[in-house]
This record gives sequence, structure tokens and C-alpha cells, in this order.
Amino acid sequence: MNAVALLVGTKKGAFVLRSDRSRESWSIDGPLFKGWEVFELTADPRVEGKWLAATGHFVYGSCVQISNDSGESWQQVEASPAYSKDAGFELKNIWCIQPSTAEEPGVYYAGVDQAGLFRSEDGGHSWELLDGLSGHASRSEWMEGAGGLCCHCVRIDPKDPDRLWTGISAVGVFRSDDRGKTWQLRNEGLPVVIPSKEHPGIGSCVHGLALDPQNSNRLFQQNHQGVYRSDDGGDHWQRIENGLKEKQFGFPIALDPHDPDTVFIVPQESDEFRHAADGKLTVCRSRDGGDSWQPLRNGLPDHCFTGVLRKAMCTDTCAETGVYFGTANGQICYSRNAGEEWQILPFTLPRIFSISAITEA
Amino acid sequence: MSDHLQSESVRVDIALPSLLQSHADGQSCIPVMASTLQGCFDALFAKHPLLQRHLFTESGQQRPHVLFFHNEDNTRWLDSLNIPVREGDTLTILQAVSGG
Repeated sequence: MNAVALLVGTKKGAFVLRSDRSRESWSIDGPLFKGWEVFELTADPRVEGKWLAATGHFVYGSCVQISNDSGESWQQVEASPAYSKDAGFELKNIWCIQPSTAEEPGVYYAGVDQAGLFRSEDGGHSWELLDGLSGHASRSEWMEGAGGLCCHCVRIDPKDPDRLWTGISAVGVFRSDDRGKTWQLRNEGLPVVIPSKEHPGIGSCVHGLALDPQNSNRLFQQNHQGVYRSDDGGDHWQRIENGLKEKQFGFPIALDPHDPDTVFIVPQESDEFRHAADGKLTVCRSRDGGDSWQPLRNGLPDHCFTGVLRKAMCTDTCAETGVYFGTANGQICYSRNAGEEWQILPFTLPRIFSISAITEA
Repeated sequence: MSDHLQSESVRVDIALPSLLQSHADGQSCIPVMASTLQGCFDALFAKHPLLQRHLFTESGQQRPHVLFFHNEDNTRWLDSLNIPVREGDTLTILQAVSGG
């Protein structure tokens, strides 16, 4: 079937939107996990029909759930990520689930609040804490951001699964070169929002992190205090804001899979307001790897005083790239031509936490 | 109650909130056989292990916004869950009214 599916995680359940490749009209199914928060709903590109969800509730805690039939049925994982009794940390939410590369079938990572990273080697059915991160030497000085002390993303080198990056708010970026056993801070060049007394490499608030799938030395970051690029695997970062407001605030950052020099962000006014500047919802796009940016507003609304959360933006792999983002007010905006024109889907969902796209062959 | 009666298992009905029923085969009420409140939880988790994670934290503490009522009594008032139960008792699991 030639189709696109959007997997949408929200404050109250998950939703699945489907269209053919024209992406002109969409159907909607859901809510899955009615009443539960869904921080992540993702498909494993290595296994047809395998989906994973990070579900939670402020009363009842969080867990991983697995479907092997594209969301038709779900199994809660009894041995979901959990800290040991003596770890000294509490698992508040599971923020992300990331399948590893084709070289590591059955391997997944899960990032959690309070900040830590777990690895599964058996298809997501059991999880082991990577205590080189949660027990990092700088841990005693980690400070949480507004969303908690969350380990919210994992990026894996598609050519070398030994090498991965993670982002923790408001601590910064870490890189591992040994499949997550040990971790090094990678924040040189980034602004510090919460200075540390003993560990000057922490206190940078990474909001969104994108890895160039064709050049794994290149990463892009939407930071609390601006937009940045690294060309050396995170060793150094440089500000890339030509065409943006200085210290541009925002959360998500996404790349065009056909052309990773094409980068999308959704600017917000500031950390005090966290909505579109002057109510004019805008996507900014770079075509040159972040060297310059252009605003895209064709079809996006005025009088829109909402924001977009860090995981609520994605791209598809159709011939003409689709770009999608969901707002904190439950609207989904999308473009079928890499941001040139935008439409709003006629659905009002709960607060949107995450969006990912499946483009079926 | 005699020691003999305390050790005898009786039927207790455990009522679940709707959000947790999907983790217990869709049941809203689960009968268990136990002699103490702790035994009721042990029996519940033996039947439906997924519930333990949602009612207690990793460190074994009752989640702060979860309430357990043994008949009319909030179990937070108890020093211990090792108290006897009687035939026909109920154990109701509730979400605390948190905010709103």
C-alpha cells in the first residue's frame, strides 16, 4: 500500500492518521491508550508492523508498550525501564524510545525523567540501565528544566552503532563511543543557562537534537538560547542564526531526509512566553545546512498563541518531502512540499507531545 | 479475631479504576483470596503483575496520588498492611483528587 501514517502522542492517548501519498485527505484512528499520556509512539523501521509506545500517567507511572501488528493490539512490558531500589532516582516519565540501527536488531534505547538512559537487547521486553550516564561524574549538579530532568532524545550513528548522542534538559549533550557504557559531555560553544560550580561543561539546555543521516559528524541543535550546528560530532558547536532572531528560542528541529542540509525549526517568542511571536505561527527553513534561514508562513495562522513541543515535528520520505508539526493546542499543521505551503488538519487533539511519520513502501 | 481466623484466606473484592482495567484483562473488580491486606495485594499482583508498577514506585512506596480503601478506611491511616481481612471485605483502588 502506498501510504503515509502519522503516529501522534498526546496528553490523553495516541492517534494514528493515515493518507495515501497525495496526502490530500486524512483519516484518524484513536485514541489508543485512552486517558494515558503518550510521550512517544514510534515505528521500528527494521521490523514491519512493530510499534513501541511510551505511556504514562501522573498518578500511575510510566511503562513501555509494544505492538507487532501496527497498533492493532498492544502488550505492556512488565520489565519496562525502572531504577533499582537503591539507585536514588525515581522514574517519572519515559520520554523517548529509539530503535538502534539495522546492525543491532532488537536493540532499543529509552530516555527517561529523572534523567537516565536504558538499553534493551531483546526487542524491548527487558531494559538495562546505562549507569555511565545516570551516574556521570557531573550528576550531582544536574538541574532540571521546565519539563523535568528529562533525557529526551537519542541519536545513533547509522554507520556505527557504537556512537550515540543524547540530550538532557537542562544539562546538555552527551556522546558515547562505546554503545552507551561511558559518556562524555559535548557542549563546547553552547551557552550555559544554569552555571555549575565544579563541572563547567554542563548547564546548557538542549531542546531538540538532529543528526545528519548522511554525515554523522554533523548535528543540529535547537537550544534554549539559540540554534547551533556541530561539524565534528558534537565536539564544538557554532551559532547558526543568519535570518533568525538572536538567541532564537524554540523546541523542535527536523531535517529533510532527502537533503539533510534542509533544516526546519518552529521559532517561539521566548522562554517567558513560549508561543509564536506576535501570534504568527511560523516555520523557519534553512536550505544550506543552517547558514541562512527563511520564514515560511504560507497557510499558517495568525492569532495563534500556542507553542510546539520538542518532539512534535517530523518529516516523511515521500518524493516531495512532507513536514508535520503538532501544537500544544492539539492542531496538526503540515506541508506537502517541504514547507512552501501549509495546511491544518481538521482535528483537535489533546496537547501534542510527539509526531513521527511512517512512509510505507 | 483469633490467630486461626487471621491465617484463613477469605474472599476480598478489589475494585480497580477504569484507567487500570486495561492492565487487568478489562476487569473492574478482581476477587482474591487472602488473610491480610498485604496478602490481597500479593494475590492481585500474582494475577496481574502489571498493576504493581502502577500502584507502587520502584522503591516500593505507594504512589503519592493513589489511594487504597479497605472498606471505608484509607490504608494510609494504617501503620502496616499486615492486618486481617474478613469475608466480603472490599479493597478499592482510587486516584486521589489531585487538583481540579
